Amino acid sequence: MLDLPMKASQARRVLGVGLLIAWLAGWQSPASAIPIFNRQTGQNCQACHAGGQFPELTPYGRMFKLTGYTIGSRTQIPLAMMALASRSSVRDTGKSDDPAADFSKNGKLIFASASLFAGGRITDNLGAFVQYTYDPYASQDASGKYHGHAAADNMDLRFVDRFVGSSHDVIVGASANNNPSVADPWNTAAAWMQYVPVPSPSSSQFIDGATPYPGFGTGGNTSGLTAYAFIDQTLYVEAGAYRSTHGVLAFMKLGQPTSALTRVQGNAPYLRAAYNLAFGASSLMIGASTMSSRVYDDPADTGDPATLHRYRDSSIDAQYQWLLDPHALTLQAVATRQFHRYPDFLAGQQPAFVDAQGNLLAPSSASDVLRLVRAKATYTWRATYGGGLSYFDLSGTTNSLNQTSGYDPLTGAITSSPAAAAPSTRVNGNVTGNPRTTGETFEAYWLPLQNLRIGAQYTAYQRYNGSARNYDGFGRNAADNDSLFVYAWFSY
Amino acid sequence: MRSLVSTVALLVVAQFAGCADTSRSRSLGDPRVAGQVMAEQVCSNCHGQRGLSRSENFPHLAAQQADYIDGQLRSLRDKHRADPAGSVYMWGIARDLTDAQIAQLAAYYAAQPAAAASPPSRDASPAGRRLFMDGSADRGVPACAGCHGPNGEGNGSIPRLADQHRAYLLRQLDVLRKGPDNRPMGTVMSPVAHQLNDDDMRVLADYISSM
Repeated sequence: MLDLPMKASQARRVLGVGLLIAWLAGWQSPASAIPIFNRQTGQNCQACHAGGQFPELTPYGRMFKLTGYTIGSRTQIPLAMMALASRSSVRDTGKSDDPAADFSKNGKLIFASASLFAGGRITDNLGAFVQYTYDPYASQDASGKYHGHAAADNMDLRFVDRFVGSSHDVIVGASANNNPSVADPWNTAAAWMQYVPVPSPSSSQFIDGATPYPGFGTGGNTSGLTAYAFIDQTLYVEAGAYRSTHGVLAFMKLGQPTSALTRVQGNAPYLRAAYNLAFGASSLMIGASTMSSRVYDDPADTGDPATLHRYRDSSIDAQYQWLLDPHALTLQAVATRQFHRYPDFLAGQQPAFVDAQGNLLAPSSASDVLRLVRAKATYTWRATYGGGLSYFDLSGTTNSLNQTSGYDPLTGAITSSPAAAAPSTRVNGNVTGNPRTTGETFEAYWLPLQNLRIGAQYTAYQRYNGSARNYDGFGRNAADNDSLFVYAWFSY
Repeated sequence: MRSLVSTVALLVVAQFAGCADTSRSRSLGDPRVAGQVMAEQVCSNCHGQRGLSRSENFPHLAAQQADYIDGQLRSLRDKHRADPAGSVYMWGIARDLTDAQIAQLAAYYAAQPAAAASPPSRDASPAGRRLFMDGSADRGVPACAGCHGPNGEGNGSIPRLADQHRAYLLRQLDVLRKGPDNRPMGTVMSPVAHQLNDDDMRVLADYISSM
């Protein structure tokens, strides 16, 4: 396993790994050194992914997905894989009394994750996209040693048909999937806007993939059934519901520990609509989605309705693409709002922390509102060189329930000592109870091969957990979290 | 949910049992799928329904000469045509087409109405029109109209050019200018394109795309 300080020896190893990957990829002919869908259609990644930068889809890629992954010829071995090697570096690891725990694997090259894919065309009307992911850093034992674990990731099984006539072109389909919006063909959807897998070690807790991205109160590993239609390649509508995963769909949570599951009471309705317009080499989408859900506080205890969190998510999103070889330009923007009503046992509670004078803090609120604005611009040339700039701004209500740092009522100090009556959280603690987090990510990437992406992301923070300065109560500033993330992402 | 799962299971069994017809198939490896079905279900994703593409990245095929489409599809299937646009998008699509399917596709697109029936615009690019209609004798550039027709309608294996996307015309002229290796069926056109400079190509593309 790669795990060395980034010195000369590591640089040589990075180069060696890169050359090995390049050799492995180049060993096969271009038509076969590619994952399932490429083998199925025989096309280059660039046909479906804008500028070749997976996973963002081109108009053709969206049609491939909406027609249920059924274009092409069924492959003999419908399997593919991807792997990620990465190195995360946090700007300041000094403001921590346990850097080894708070910035684990900082500055070290690691094998971050690997996924196995199965699926593609099954019949003329049936297709699948099934992802199973191995995380080498899934858990840590008492000695600090990491243990790997594999579990279900995104899954999307479709039944679809397309009716073409002299005056109409209608795609209708149904998707059984395990993550709200995973069936969506645009990459402003919550399930797809964040793309490079985020390594588990804590040194990656501030990289771009860990910054605020759109999401739903109902997370992954639920089971959903949605029906959709794409009319004249203009109007897209999708409606369905998600619920706890049981029975024949249990494979959609395979390997996930109970603690990682979302347990939903009843059905959580999901609705999505988008207007798509193509002109010249441009395509523009403007859309909206909404979802309501009731989620049990403890996934292991679904017996008490009094423990339900109630979420109401809504978002508007837009994507503009200008794809004219050798240019690929994409602009994306999303604005989301989440209303979160807490179960009664969490509302109106007195926080354990006190203020600097020892006075009680305000009781916790019964609900919160979170707002996120996220925008991104990406350009790729000749499906080889590219870069991007993204901006994020998470804001919301202040609630003492979300305060994870503060003054200990016994000592009158902010302390992380487990012996304290109210121990505070270092590094990612929140001393204000406000979620405000803002920043930008700059990215550059290189695709030396169509199935290898090497990139670097630098994420800079202006605010983190409500403050620009001393957000955790231990003197840590938002800018201390600025992170450099370098990755090599390979698929086969 | 159980009834739904049962229904889906039945559909799967029915399809595997061969009960499905091919009238709306997206298979690219099934010789039973008719050319028109392929055109509607697959080709239309880039080339538009009835061969009128929305994106300048992909050529219009409507009213294109059947012999030209037939020849190009064979060249793409056999990987003889190797310009990037051809290899990236079309090698895979064409790799398993039968001769019969290629002939059906060619006939289907040739029969589709062109984008516009308006006469050539004299105002779009007078210089482009002159070059198209008369060529440039002093530089050895023959008139495009001589082979492609005065209205750019093409003839047999010589392609229709009228109304084609400007960006696509420019890209293909550039491919041909660099030599016939990537478009072996364009051997005749390659030396002509070699005589054209960037300005010539721009004015020609302006004129042809307005025809």
